Order: sequence, then structure tokens, then C-alpha cells
Amino acid sequence: MGSRARAAALLAGVLGSGLLFASTWPLDAMAPRGQLGPGFWPRLALIGLAMACLLKLREERRAGPDGTEASEVLPRVSGSRLALGIACILAYVIAAPRLGFPLATAAFIVAFMVVAGARGVPGIAATALLGTVILLYTFIKLVYLPFPKGAGPFEHVTLALYRALGIF
Amino acid sequence: MIETVLGSSIGGLGIGFQHALEPLNLGMIALGLVIGILAGALPGITMLNSIVLVLPFTYLMGIVPALLLMIGVYCGGVFGGSITGILFNIPGDPMNVPTTWEGYQLSQQGRTQYALGLAIMSSAVGGLVSALFLAFFAPPFARFALTLSSVEFFSVVLFGLAGVSVLNQSSLPAALISLFAGLFLGTVGTEAQYGVERFAFGVPFLKTGVDFVTVLIGLFAIGEVLEQIVTAQPRIAARGPARTVPRLPLRDLWPLRGPLARGTLVGIAVGGLAGAGATVSSFVSYGLEKQFSKTPELFGRGHAGALVASESSVNGSTGGAMIHLLTLGIPGSAATAVMMGAFLIHGIQPGPLLFTKQPEQVYTLFAGMILANVLMVAFGFLAAMCFATLMRVPAPILNTLIVVFCFIGAFALRNDMADVWLTMLFGVIGFFMRRYDLPIPPLVMGVILGPMAEQYFLTSMVAHGNDLTVFVTRPVSAVILGLAVLLVLAPSLRRLRRGAA
Repeated sequence: MGSRARAAALLAGVLGSGLLFASTWPLDAMAPRGQLGPGFWPRLALIGLAMACLLKLREERRAGPDGTEASEVLPRVSGSRLALGIACILAYVIAAPRLGFPLATAAFIVAFMVVAGARGVPGIAATALLGTVILLYTFIKLVYLPFPKGAGPFEHVTLALYRALGIF
Repeated sequence: MIETVLGSSIGGLGIGFQHALEPLNLGMIALGLVIGILAGALPGITMLNSIVLVLPFTYLMGIVPALLLMIGVYCGGVFGGSITGILFNIPGDPMNVPTTWEGYQLSQQGRTQYALGLAIMSSAVGGLVSALFLAFFAPPFARFALTLSSVEFFSVVLFGLAGVSVLNQSSLPAALISLFAGLFLGTVGTEAQYGVERFAFGVPFLKTGVDFVTVLIGLFAIGEVLEQIVTAQPRIAARGPARTVPRLPLRDLWPLRGPLARGTLVGIAVGGLAGAGATVSSFVSYGLEKQFSKTPELFGRGHAGALVASESSVNGSTGGAMIHLLTLGIPGSAATAVMMGAFLIHGIQPGPLLFTKQPEQVYTLFAGMILANVLMVAFGFLAAMCFATLMRVPAPILNTLIVVFCFIGAFALRNDMADVWLTMLFGVIGFFMRRYDLPIPPLVMGVILGPMAEQYFLTSMVAHGNDLTVFVTRPVSAVILGLAVLLVLAPSLRRLRRGAA
């Protein structure tokens, strides 16, 4: 991130804190007169946040454009992998309530392993299938976690799968 | 007086050991340790969850095996989260966060077995000393602890928050941004004192607040996985044939006896404060350790002393937390509250009369705690060996399974997909925080300790008519606050001293 973008982000932090700060006053309507209300602590945190953003801004200005980079040199990022990785994770969370946990998990394992650099098809398939079955037995059969079963036809698929595996 | 107390305690412990060493009782301790360590190691399934899960199974047992099972789960559970923290940067419980900061760094330097060994041994020593303290000094300590109030509790939590100044970061303002953002996040949801909704913006799941476990799992685990896949850098232990099986670090532990002793003492003292518990004690001892350390600049980069101090304080707090329950009938933490339920189910009322009416059971419990901490060395090593073999799993498989476990852990909190969303969101935030040099630990400290600080502060203000001087006029609070101020000023004082030299 360039120094201007960092400065803009910090100013946005100050502005956001200010807006949230303004929204805390109605919270104190519940408190008896003379007592600290439920808005007090968030106000304290927001003042601190705004002050810290301003301090950071001052620090960056003093350091100049060359001094604003991360102190620790991190390895270069593969932008496409990052986008794909985040997309896989988001798709998993979106898909789980719709496809059901078993199908969504198996699909996620395949997709994320490919993004993470796995190439062998048998290994990926085995991990997806075995991994999902082991997770289902452990967390549904033993721990009774009510994972999402999916919507519409996928719910029937999930239930059929549970019956086939002897989980239900 | 002291001789009488010691004599009766030793006699009582002798009888306690006779009962605790019976095969069934010993088996229950071992079973509890296995359950506790495994549950503690899984993110999202906390030590408290595991105690609650075993509670129904104790209905059909006698009181002694039931309590020993729970003691095993308690002692194992507070340690279990350190294993995954050290190996995968995923603390199983908030109390394991400081251990994770240092342990994972050691692991990244190829010193996994050293870090695991230190964690196991210091946890066992902390728990053992704490159990002995409980056996010999429970009643007088409980009387002293009763004189403390929310004023002192607030000071202790503030001391923990002051630890942000000792975390190794390149920029104090960046750490403060992170800390205050964490404190703010901790205020989201329904406020406890007046029942007012704060910053929920009409979103139903935000009304119950942001569960700190979602923040913890997201920032640490998901952020780390994203970092791994975008830089294609495998976890260090997966790169080569380096051994990850822990070794018994008795020689390594001796030079660290100072941090070990300090961590244990902090654990007992903070654990003895009702409501403070293992999480606060781990942060406090971590912060305190930097005061004493000769190499404070190495904190956050794999400091063995810091790891030993925080880990010993976590298990050191178990004995302290039990003091309130056994001597006063007041549970000092959520875990001991569940144990109190087990006492009541079996028709036993914890409190001052317990020591005179049922001394055999009390001392069997003490003996059980001592045995649990001794056995934990063996079980801890076994568990660490099992988890360490996971380090040999190829990075793409391991990273993928970590995300799936994070999904399950987040979902298990409240059986709500909203927590999964939050976890993944914090995962992405965690990745960008790493990239843009915003330290993660202060944010985690803010989210975990912030709500406690608010509760104790507001209770103190209500009790003392908004008189802020109460924090410095009460001696114990004044001492703790003085130490907190010293902690914050220590880096500047060191620089001044170096400049003068």
C-alpha cells in the first residue's frame, strides 16, 4: 500500500471512530443520572482508536515515504492465489447451508487443495472423500453437531448420505 | 498453628492418595486428561465445553470418580490448546494465546520439539505446585481473596492490557490501533449492566456480540493459511525431516526456573481472584515476564522464558480457581461453576463446612489434582506426538483441513453460520493485518480482556460513587496499577538507562 493510501486508511479510521462516537450518546439514556452509562466504555475505546490513528499518521509522516513499508520483509504475494483462496473460503461458507455440509466440504477440499498447490488427482480425491466421511462420523455421530443439511433436493441428498453411512 | 495445618494437610493427603490411586479413580483421571487435551486442542471446543459435555456422564458415578474425571478434563483442557498453538498457530483456547505467540515462532525456527517439551513440563509443574498450594493453604488464601473486589479485578485486567506495550512490535501506534479496535469489538452486542444493544445495527447475530473465539480462530488460523498459500511457503516442519516429537527438556527447564516460578505464582494468585481465571493470568504473566527478562527484545520472536511463564501460569491458575469453590462455595470461574453443579448433583454443598464434614473427599480431590498434573506429562507427550505427526502432512492438505476445522470450530460455538462468517471475515482481516504491519496480538487482547475490564470498571464505579481514586487508595489495587505503569514505562526507562550508560 502506498503512503497516500495508508494515510487515507488512517484518516478513514479517525472519521469512522468519530461517527461511531457520535452514535454512542443515545446509549446512555438508560443509565441513572450521575452514573456512567453503557456508552462510556465504547467512547473510551473509540477515542483511543482515533488518537492511535493520528499518532500512526504522525509517525508515518515523520518516517517519510521510504519508512512506511512493513518493518519485516514479507515474501511476495501471489495475487491470483490470494483471490482464489478467499473466493474458495467464501464459496464454502455460502454453499454449506445450500448444498449441505458434506457436499460443500468435499467440494471445498478439492478446490482449496488445488489452489494451495496440490496436483495429484488421486490424493485430492482421497482426501476429499475420506476427510469428509471422517469429519461426519466424528462431529455428527459422536459430538452431535447439527451441521447444515442443505436446501431443497440437497437436503434429501445429505440425509440419504447420512443413512448410507449409518450416521442416522 | 502452621505445623497443625501442615500436619492435618499431610495426613489428609495420605488418605486422599489412597482413594485417588484406586484403579477406577486413576482411570477417571486418565480419561479426563485425554478428553481435556483433545478438546482443548480443537479450536472452538473449549475446555469449558468439554467439562459441560462430560457432566451428564457423571450422574451415574460416585462423587469421587465423577470429580476426578472433571479434574482430569480441567487440567488437560487448559493445556491442550497449547499443542495446536505451537504446531499450527491455532490456540485452542484464549488462555493459550501467549504460548502460541512464542511457541509458534520457536516452531518456525525448527525448534518444535523444544517448544512442545517446555510447554508440557511448565504446564505440569505449574499445575502441580498449584495443586499443592491448594492442599496446604486453601482456607487462609480464600479469606484473603474475599477482601478483594471488582476494583482489584479491574487493576489485574488492566495490567494484562498494559502488556500490549511489551509485545514486540515495530510501532507502538500500530499496536494501539489494534488494541483499541479490539476493545471496541468487545463492546459490540447487548451490554450486560443495562441490557442495551450496542453497534448491532439491527443485525440479529450481532446482538449477542462478537464471540472472541471467532476472532481468535480467524486472525490466527485462517490468516496464517492464507499467508501460507499465497507465498507458497510450507510450514517449517513439513519442509524436511526435522523431528517434531517432543523431548523431555529437564536440562532446558533448569535455566528457565525463574520464569517458571513467576508464572506459577502469578497463576495461583490470579486464578484465586474470582472471575479472573487462566486467560487473565496468562496475559499478566507474559507481561510481567518481560519486566524480568534479560532479553526482552526477543519477545514475540520465540522467547522460551515467555512461553514457560505463560504456560505455567495457565495451569497454575487451576488450583487458585478451585480455592473459592471448595472453601467458600463460590465458583471462581465458569469451569468451576460446572464442577459445583457436579457437587450439588451428588448432594454435596461446597463451602467452609466441606473440610470438616467430608475431608476424605476434599483431600481425594487434592490428590487427584496432583496426580492429574503428574500424569499430564505422559499424556501431554503422547498427545503432542500424535499432533506432531500432522506436521508431516503435505502443506496443501494440512492448510485445507485447517480451514475445515476452523469452519467446524466456529459453527460449534452456537450452531450458527453467522459465527462461521465472522471467523472467515476475521481470517481475511488477519491476513491483511500481517501484510500491513498491524500487530494481531493486541487486537486479540482487546477483544478478550476488554469486556472483563468494562464490567469490573463499571461495577467499581457503581459501588464507589464514580470515585476514580478508589483504584489507588486500595492498597492491592494500587500495587497492581503501579506495576502496570512500570510495565508501560519500562521500555522508555531502559532506553534512558542505555543512553546514560
